[in-house]
Amino acid sequence: MAISAATKAATDALAVNRAPTSVNAQEVHRWLQSFTWDFDKNRTKYPTKYKMANETKEQFKLIAKEYARMESVKDERQFGSLQDVLTRLDAGNRVHPKWGETMKVASNFLEVGEYNAIAATGMLWDSASAPEQKNGYLAQVLDEIRHTNQCGYVNYYFSKHFHDPAGHNDARRTRTIGPLWKGMKRVFSDGFISGDAVECSVNLQLVGEACFTNPLIVAITEWAAANGDEITPTVFLSIETDELRHMANGYQTVVSIANDAAASKYLNTDLNNAFWTQQKYFTPVLGMLFEYGSKFKVEPWVKTWNRWVYEDWGGIWIGRLGKYGVESPRSLRDAKKDAYWAHHDLFLLAYALWPTGFFRLTLPTAEEADWFEANYPGWYDQYGKIYDEWRARGCEDPNSGFIPLMWFIENNHPIYIDRVSQVPFCPSLCKGASTLRVHEYNGKKHSFSDEWGERMWLSEPERYECQNMFEQYAGRELSEVIAEQHGVRSDGKTLIAQPHTNKNGKLWTLDDIKKLNCVFKDPLDAL
Amino acid sequence: MSVQVQQGKRGLTDPEMVKEILEAIPDQPLDTQRKMNYFVKPRGRRLTEYEVLTCYAQPTPDWIPGGLDWGDWTQKFHGGRPSWGNETTELHSTDWHKHRDPAKRWHAPYVKDKAEEWRYTDRFLLAYSSEGQVRSIDPIWRDEVLNDYLGAFCFNEYGLFNAHSSASRDCLGDTLRMSIAMIGFDKVDNAQMIQLERTFLAKLVPGFPESTDEPKREWTQGAIYKGARETVQDIWQATYDWNEILWSCHMVYDPLFGQFVRREFFQRLSSYYGDTLTPFFINQMQLYFSQTKGITSDMFFECLGDDAEFGDYNRRMMRAWTDKWLPRTVQALQDFMGIFTKIPTIPGVTSKDAVEAALERVFDDWKLDYADKVSYKFDKAAIIKTILQGLK
Repeated sequence: MAISAATKAATDALAVNRAPTSVNAQEVHRWLQSFTWDFDKNRTKYPTKYKMANETKEQFKLIAKEYARMESVKDERQFGSLQDVLTRLDAGNRVHPKWGETMKVASNFLEVGEYNAIAATGMLWDSASAPEQKNGYLAQVLDEIRHTNQCGYVNYYFSKHFHDPAGHNDARRTRTIGPLWKGMKRVFSDGFISGDAVECSVNLQLVGEACFTNPLIVAITEWAAANGDEITPTVFLSIETDELRHMANGYQTVVSIANDAAASKYLNTDLNNAFWTQQKYFTPVLGMLFEYGSKFKVEPWVKTWNRWVYEDWGGIWIGRLGKYGVESPRSLRDAKKDAYWAHHDLFLLAYALWPTGFFRLTLPTAEEADWFEANYPGWYDQYGKIYDEWRARGCEDPNSGFIPLMWFIENNHPIYIDRVSQVPFCPSLCKGASTLRVHEYNGKKHSFSDEWGERMWLSEPERYECQNMFEQYAGRELSEVIAEQHGVRSDGKTLIAQPHTNKNGKLWTLDDIKKLNCVFKDPLDAL
Repeated sequence: MSVQVQQGKRGLTDPEMVKEILEAIPDQPLDTQRKMNYFVKPRGRRLTEYEVLTCYAQPTPDWIPGGLDWGDWTQKFHGGRPSWGNETTELHSTDWHKHRDPAKRWHAPYVKDKAEEWRYTDRFLLAYSSEGQVRSIDPIWRDEVLNDYLGAFCFNEYGLFNAHSSASRDCLGDTLRMSIAMIGFDKVDNAQMIQLERTFLAKLVPGFPESTDEPKREWTQGAIYKGARETVQDIWQATYDWNEILWSCHMVYDPLFGQFVRREFFQRLSSYYGDTLTPFFINQMQLYFSQTKGITSDMFFECLGDDAEFGDYNRRMMRAWTDKWLPRTVQALQDFMGIFTKIPTIPGVTSKDAVEAALERVFDDWKLDYADKVSYKFDKAAIIKTILQGLK
C-alpha cells in the first residue's frame, strides 16, 4: 500500500521524539458538548415549564473513567479505615447507646434521600439538553448510587458491631411504621422526583444539597465524633466530598434557565416552596436527632441552623444566584422562628409515639434538662415538667401499663398531621409556630399546620392526597400494627423501639403493648 | 452545662468520655441477628454484600409488587400521577425487586474495575505511542474508517447512553435502577473512548482531525448509519415504556447491530489493516457488552420471563417488541453494509462470503442468547439475505 503523507509525518515525528503519549480526561471532555445532535422527535419524558439552554457547561469536567478513578480513591480510604483501623479499635461498639440509636434514623433516612436522588438526577439527565449538563447529572446519578451504598454500609457496619443491632439490621423493612417516615419520604423521596423537572432540581440540588447537607452530613459528624462514633464521620465526610458537584449542578440548572425571561415568573415561588418543604421536616427532625439523641452536646441546634441555613445558604449561597433573579425565600423568616422550638415540639410527639419507631428514644436526664434550659430558656416549664410526669408514671417500664400517647388523650391534646409536609403537630401544646387549619375536600378532612403548606395544597390538592398514619391505622390496635409492620426483634416478640436505652432496663414486648389496648383514631373525625 | 463538649473533643479518644460511654453499653448484644437485611431472600446460598447494600433501598408501597412499604406516595406529579407506578411499563412482575446483577456489583467494585481500566488504558497508550505502532495502520482505514465511521459510531453509543436516562428514573426496583445506571454509564464510556482514540490519533498523526464535525456529519447525514440513527433516536426519544427501551436496546438492536459493528467489523478487520489500537478499545466495549448481557438476561429472562404469574404474558410482550424492533435493526445493518465499499477489499475478509459468515455468527449468537429464551422464531437466511442487499 502507498504510504500517506500523514503516515510519513507520523514516522518523521517519531524519529525526532519517541516520548510516550497519552490522552487526559480534559482532552476528551472538551468534545462532549458536540456529542449530541438535533432531530425531530427530540423530547424529554420530563418536560419543564422552564426553558433549559443548550450551551450550559458543567464545572467538574469529568469523563466516565476519570470519575471512576476519583471515586475509587475515595472509597479505598474510607473502606480501608472502616475495615482496618476502626474494626481493630472495636469502634462500632464504642458508640454511646443514645447516639447509636440516632444513627438508625439518620443513616437510613439519608439513604432514602440518596436513593431517590438517583432517580431525580436520572430525570434531570433526561430533561437537560446540553450534553455537558447531562454529563454533570450523570456523574451525580453514580454519586447517588455511591451514597446509597455508603449509608447502607453504616447500618451494615453497626449491625455487625453495635451492641443493639435491631433497627440497623432491618430498618428497610420496618422504617415505614412511625410518625417520622412519611414526612421524610415527602422531603427525601417524592419531592425530589415528582413534579416539574427543574422544580425537582430546586428541591434536590438548590435546597436539599446546598442548604441541608451542611447540617445533615457535616454537622452530624461532629455530634457523632463527640459521642464515640467514628464510623459516621468516616463515611459521611466522604459523601460530602461529592456534594459540591451536586450543588454545582443545581447552580448550573439555574444558569441554564436564566436567559429565559419567563423563568423569573416561577423560580422564586418554586424555590420558596422547596425551601419550606425541606425545612418543615429537617429543621425539627435534625434538631431532635442531635440534641435528644446524644449524650454529649456540641452546640445548640438553633445556632447551627442560623449559621448554615439562614446565613450561609439564605444569605451567601442564594446571594450568589441574585444575578439570575433568585431571591432568598420569603418563608425563611418563619423558618427561623421554628428553628428555636420546633424540634422540642417534635420530640414530645415522637416520644409519645415511641412504639411505632424502629429505634430507641430516651427522655432527657436531669443533666441534659439543665442544658436544655440554659440554651432554650423556658424549656423546663413547657417540656421538662411533662417528662418528669411521664417518668414518674413509669413510662420506661413495661410493667407500668403507660405510654405517653395516653397522656395526650387524657389531657385532650390531639395530635394532627400536616397534609402537605406529613409532619405531626399538636396545636394545643406546641411552642413552635404551628396552628391548626382544616379544609374539607372531596368529602375528606385535611389538617394543616402553617400558611405556606396550606397555600401549596390549595393550589394543587391532588399532589398531596396521601393518607397519614392515623387515617391508615384508624381502628387498628397498636400491637397488631407493630407486628404487621415487622417492628419486632429477631425473637419475634420484643419491640425494636423502646422508650429508654438503660443498660439494665427491661425491654417492652408485643404483649406489653397489647395490654394497653391502644387503638388508633383519626383526630379529624372529631372535628 | 456539663454535657456540652468543646468542639473537636472525640468520644473514642478522650478517656473520660470513653469511660462514660463504655459504662452505658450493655455487656451483651441485645439481638442475635447481626446481618443487615437478614430478611432478604438471597439469590444464591448466602446473602451477598451486594444484596445487603442494595435490596429494598427503594421505599416502595406494596401496591407495586415486591414493595415493603404501606400507603402511598406523599407528593405526586402535577395532576396527581404517582412518583412511580405500575403503568410505566407493559410488563408485569410479582416482584420488581427480584433482579440481581450476576456480577454482584455495587458502586465501589464497579468504579474500582473502571478505574483500573482507565489506568490500564493510560499505560497502554503510552506504550503504543512510544514504539510507534501507529505507523502500521493502513491510511484509508485510519483516515476514513476510524475517523469518519468509528467516529460516527460514537453517536450511536451516546444516543443509547441517553436512552437510559428515563429508564433509570422510571424503573420499579432498586437493583434494576443501579444496573440500568451502570449500563448507561458504560455506554457513555464507549462514546468517550471513541473520541479518546481519535484524540490520541490526532496527537500521533499530523493532520488527523480530532474534531467531531466530520463524524457527526456522517452520523446525521450519511447513508451508512441512516437506519442506525433512526433506530437509536426512536429508542432514546420515542419509546416511553422503560422495559421496551431496555429490550429494544439490549435484547435486539445492540446484540445485532452493535455486535456486528463492534466485533465483526471494527474488531475483526482492524488487524487486517494494521490497526492494533482499535481492538484495545473495542475489547473494553465488549467487556461492557458481556456484563450488560448478564444483567439484562437476568432482568428479562430470570425475573420477568420466568415470573410465576406473568411469565407467559411477559414473553409474549417481548416477542411483540422484537417484531417491532428487529426490522429496524435489520434496516440498520443493511445500510451499514455500504461501509464495505469504503475500504480496500481483502478477499475472504471483506468479501461477501466473509460478511455473510460474520452476520451468521451474530445471528446465531442472538438466537442462542436472546431469541430462544423467549421462543422467538425468525428466518435467519431471509434476514441475512435482506441485509446483504446493502452490500454492493
